[in-house]
Amino acid sequence: MATVGQFVDIKWKLGVAMSSDTCRSLKYPYVTVTLKVADPSGQITDRSFEMTIPQFKNFFRQFKEMAAVLETV
Amino acid sequence: MKLTGNGTTPISEGSLPPPEGSKPLSGLLGGIAQAAYYGNADITEELLRGQLYPEAAPEEFRALRAKMGGLLQSIASADMDLNQLDAFLTAQTKKQGGITSDQAAVIAKFWKNHRMKIHESLINQSRWDNLLKNMNWRVDLKSQSRHIDQINTPVAIVEMELGKNGQESEFLCLEFDEAKLSQMLKKLSEIEDSMTLLTQTT
Repeated sequence: MATVGQFVDIKWKLGVAMSSDTCRSLKYPYVTVTLKVADPSGQITDRSFEMTIPQFKNFFRQFKEMAAVLETV
Repeated sequence: MKLTGNGTTPISEGSLPPPEGSKPLSGLLGGIAQAAYYGNADITEELLRGQLYPEAAPEEFRALRAKMGGLLQSIASADMDLNQLDAFLTAQTKKQGGITSDQAAVIAKFWKNHRMKIHESLINQSRWDNLLKNMNWRVDLKSQSRHIDQINTPVAIVEMELGKNGQESEFLCLEFDEAKLSQMLKKLSEIEDSMTLLTQTT
């Protein structure tokens, strides 16, 4: 299933999972992001997902690359 | 019933005959980790006993497996560093019905080698929201109007694969023009600054 849309906005949250039912000492930092997306009809929906710190760094790096390419086109 | 080793010192009551070297215990810990942390349901108690301790009675093996499993769980749950591990294992060797110092050495070596992987597996078990599984992008030239000569605006088309652990993915395809990309980068930069603060305070 695919959603196509225009990026509207991004909300974010940085958290650390301290413990879980399977691990008393988790200490796992992660980023939760909510993208606000406008579909072709103009309706706004939210899409949330979680990233590990390395994943976030890669995510950021890719957007920087996109911006760099956009400038040269 | 007292068991003796291969002609050397007698072992404490009720323990299994010492294997040559530490391989069976190391193998047992590996088998326990496979089942508990790496999601390998094929590693059964029977399989482990047959492969590693064929001479042992099922009840004795079950007790050993339970004991080692319990120790590994305590160590993994606390994500013990070397100091904590040393203190913990030393205390276990002094307990009634605890472990031998040889067994402690095998457990220590196993944890040193597997700590990161097991911890990652435990982290993964706690990630049940949508994850970003993959991302692809390209830059397109979008024509603005067919009435005006070639006004082309570059846009980035980003495809994100989202989904929960072990579930089917959803694809999100977004378009970013230069302004939107700037907006995105600004927010991502804020996140990065926040992360730096986090590593400074924890």
